[in-house]
Order: sequence, then C-alpha cells, then structure tokens
Amino acid sequence: MATAAPTAMSTGTAPMRDDAQLLTLAQWLSPAYPVGGFAYSHGLESAVRAGWIADAGGLETWLEDVLEHGSGRADAIWLHLAHRCADGDDLMALDDEARAFAPARERLREGARQGAAFARTTGEVWGLDLPDLLLPLALGRAARLMGMAPGPVAALYLHAFAGNLVAAAQRLMPMGQTAAQRVLAGLTPLCAAVAEATATADLDDIASTAFLSDVAAMTHETLEPRIFQS
Amino acid sequence: MTSLAQIDMPLARPVQPRAEGALHLSSKRLDARSVIDGFRCSGAMKALFPRSAGALEAIMINSSGGLTGGDRIAVRARAGRDTDLTLTTQAAERAYRASDGVARVETRLEAAAGARLSWLPQELILFRGASLDRSLRIELAADARLLMVEPVLFGRGAMGEVLDQARLRDRIEIRRDGRPLYRDATRLEGDLAAQLARPGIAGGCAAIASLVFIDPAAEAHLDQVRALLPETGGASLLHPDLLAVRLLAHDGFELRRHLLPILDRLSGETLPTSWRL
Repeated sequence: MATAAPTAMSTGTAPMRDDAQLLTLAQWLSPAYPVGGFAYSHGLESAVRAGWIADAGGLETWLEDVLEHGSGRADAIWLHLAHRCADGDDLMALDDEARAFAPARERLREGARQGAAFARTTGEVWGLDLPDLLLPLALGRAARLMGMAPGPVAALYLHAFAGNLVAAAQRLMPMGQTAAQRVLAGLTPLCAAVAEATATADLDDIASTAFLSDVAAMTHETLEPRIFQS
Repeated sequence: MTSLAQIDMPLARPVQPRAEGALHLSSKRLDARSVIDGFRCSGAMKALFPRSAGALEAIMINSSGGLTGGDRIAVRARAGRDTDLTLTTQAAERAYRASDGVARVETRLEAAAGARLSWLPQELILFRGASLDRSLRIELAADARLLMVEPVLFGRGAMGEVLDQARLRDRIEIRRDGRPLYRDATRLEGDLAAQLARPGIAGGCAAIASLVFIDPAAEAHLDQVRALLPETGGASLLHPDLLAVRLLAHDGFELRRHLLPILDRLSGETLPTSWRL
C-alpha cells in the first residue's frame, strides 16, 4: 500500500476518502493487530471478582459507564485532539497531559504499551513517523498522517475497545458467545454517539466519573490470581 | 516557577455577586520554623493560625456560610523554600442551591524547593440545586513534597435529601517543574443521585475522596494504605514518589472513618485538629 501524504482534514463523521482507508482502519483496530489488547481487562477482572459485574446485563451497564463517562469518552477526546495536532511538540505535550490523567499505574501501562506497539508496527508498515504515544493518541496521529477523517476512527476505536472488553469478560465469567455479541451490539450506538459528541471537544472537556472503574483498575494491581495485565 | 505576584489575578466581577472572597498566604523559614511571609484576605475569606511547633498551619474560613450562584472564591498560597505549610478548613464547605449563576472556587498553590505543602480541606457538601465550578492547580518544585485530599459529599442522605439536580465541575492539576504530573477532572450534571447509583460510576456511594501523596517515601506507605481501604477504594503508585488514592463510601461518616487513618499516616500524625472536631 502506498503511503498517503498528509492532506487537509475533513471533519466529523464524513465518509472515508476511499474504501482502502476504511480497510486500513479495520486492520489497525482488528484484534489480530499486534498491540496485545487481549492481555488487558481495563479493571474488569477485579470488578468481576468483587461481584460488581455478575452477568451479561451487568457487563453492558458497566461498559456503558466506561464508554460514556469514563476512559472511553476521554480516549475519544484524546484521539480527536491528537488528530487536530499539526505540530510534533504539541503532540508530545498532549501525550504528557494524557499520561497525567491516568488514574492507575496499570491503566497507564495498558495505554503506553499498546500505543508503543501500535506506533512501531504502523510506522514500519505504512512508513509513518510515529513516536511512542498512548494508544488513542498514536491512533489519532496515524489517522491524520493517512488523511483519515477522525469521526469514524474514534467510533471504530471505541467499538474495538468495547469488543476487546466483552471478549475479556467471556474469560472471566459464564457468558455465552451469543450473549457476548448481543452486549457488543447493544453498545454499538453508544460508541457512535460518543465519537460524534467528542468531535469538537477540547482538553478542558476531559473528565472521568467512572469512579468504580478507576478503583477496579487500582485494585487489580494486587489481585491474585489473575489472568490479565490490567 | 511562577511567583505569587504573577499568579495574583484580579477576580472576575459578576453582575451581582452574592459573595466574594480571596486569601493570599505564603510561608518563609525562620530558624527551624515555618512562619508567615505574606498574608492578606478579603471579603468572605478569613484565616486562623493555630499555634504549632514547626509547620505553619492555616485554617481557612468562608464566613459567607456557604457557596451559591455567583460566588467567587480565590485562594493563593505558596510554601516558600524549605518550609512546611498546611492549609485546611474550619468546617465542611456547603454548596447551596444556586438560583442563577455558578459558584466558582479557584485555588492556586505552589511549593518551592525543599518545601512540604499539605492541602487538607474538609468535605465539600453538594446540596440539591448546587452549581459549582472548582479548580485546584498546584505547582511543585522538583523536590517539593505534597499531601492533598479533596473529599466531596453528594447530598445529605442522612437528611433524606435526594441529589436529583446539581452541577459540579471539579479539576485537579498538579505540575512539577512545569510539566503535567497528575490530573483529575469530574463533570457531573443533572440527576446526580441516579448517575452515582450506576455500577461503573459509584454503585450508590455518595461520598468520594481523591488523595495524592508526593514524597520520596510514597512507595513505603503503599501496602499500609491499601490495607486501610474498603473494597470501594484503590491506591496506586503512579510514579516512584506519587501515591494516588480514590476512595468511595456510602456516606460522609464512612468516608471519614477510612480517610482519617490514611491521612494520619501520610501526614506523619500532623493532621490539623480541625479534622478531629
């Protein structure tokens, strides 16, 4: 695939410039893309252990909170902000702010390791100059360099994030494949809505009120035994 | 690092403010003690300075009796080089129903080289209809130490009041040597009781505290702090010298019950006496 030159950005949820862009985005956000997303539960493991999530319905409600009020919404804003960054120094300063917002050590590591892996692979395959950034910022930067509109990138990012957590939950509690896919289907409109609502947000709009999701990220650090890194 | 004079901004003047208040304080070293370097207050803000051995302790008082729409409170404090400065409040701060407008509280703190700064206000209580915008910004020198806590009570459950209408914007921003170190932001609006009832938000807890401890000995306290937390609390070492705690509790009483032993420990048993009353 040829490397796309940076172009003027379209905004919002404008359609992808061509099908190849959409397919590249699908590749980046596929569970097969080597960022190691399967290793992280984003605190789900400790939330399930504490009994805060007990079934598919509880999982869907929890993930609604994460997407709408917690790191999902914040990540979508970081992605949009990184996509808007024209200057490399501004981008690194933005990454510093994003790291300062991490509520727990494992949460920071989750974003940093996946972001570094994404930057390494994407940089090599598409010939992009991508520094080590937290995952949503690395994705926003790569999308800008490829001339992708940020709206669909944020929507697909949130959907992949939710899908990864639904898959993690299947390993943590009794939940069949059909029930799991029903949870993800139920979250899909919210992913699109959050991506759209965050399109014009700025740094001052970053907030997280998914307090127990953040507490779960903290308590996971001492959870034994455990199968996930967060 | 910004000097106190540089961050001394005039207060925005709303049309009809109900209350305005400002407090400016800085500390300096005198032999082995930390003493007042500069102090002035205006409007509703006042301060008491209880006698203390080494550290300088200021008890802030908002004499307007609470916050409501249009109020403007500004606090500026600087722990000078090698000083130990503690700021606390005499009682819980109440944010009352705002008929119109937003109450704004802006705090700018600074800790110079070798200083130890403790920001330990008592609880903020949000009443039904409250509308509050708070910002806490702390600038630290490379080797400055910090203990800060911000406890917030959402409504007065004990009074049977349901917080079905309120607005809170709350920001904490800590920078070290000018670079972002720790940030936290809360935005809640509308039926807060319903939102806090959600499992990923607060699971029905109505009392939340954020605590940050920056000290070379932070890691040594991590296990003990974790042991003092309930299931709805977490602690994490975000940097080798930065310990962050998020604590949720059913009500203000439960929050204090868990918070006090942690604050005792992290303050080296120097928690201001106003916390005991």
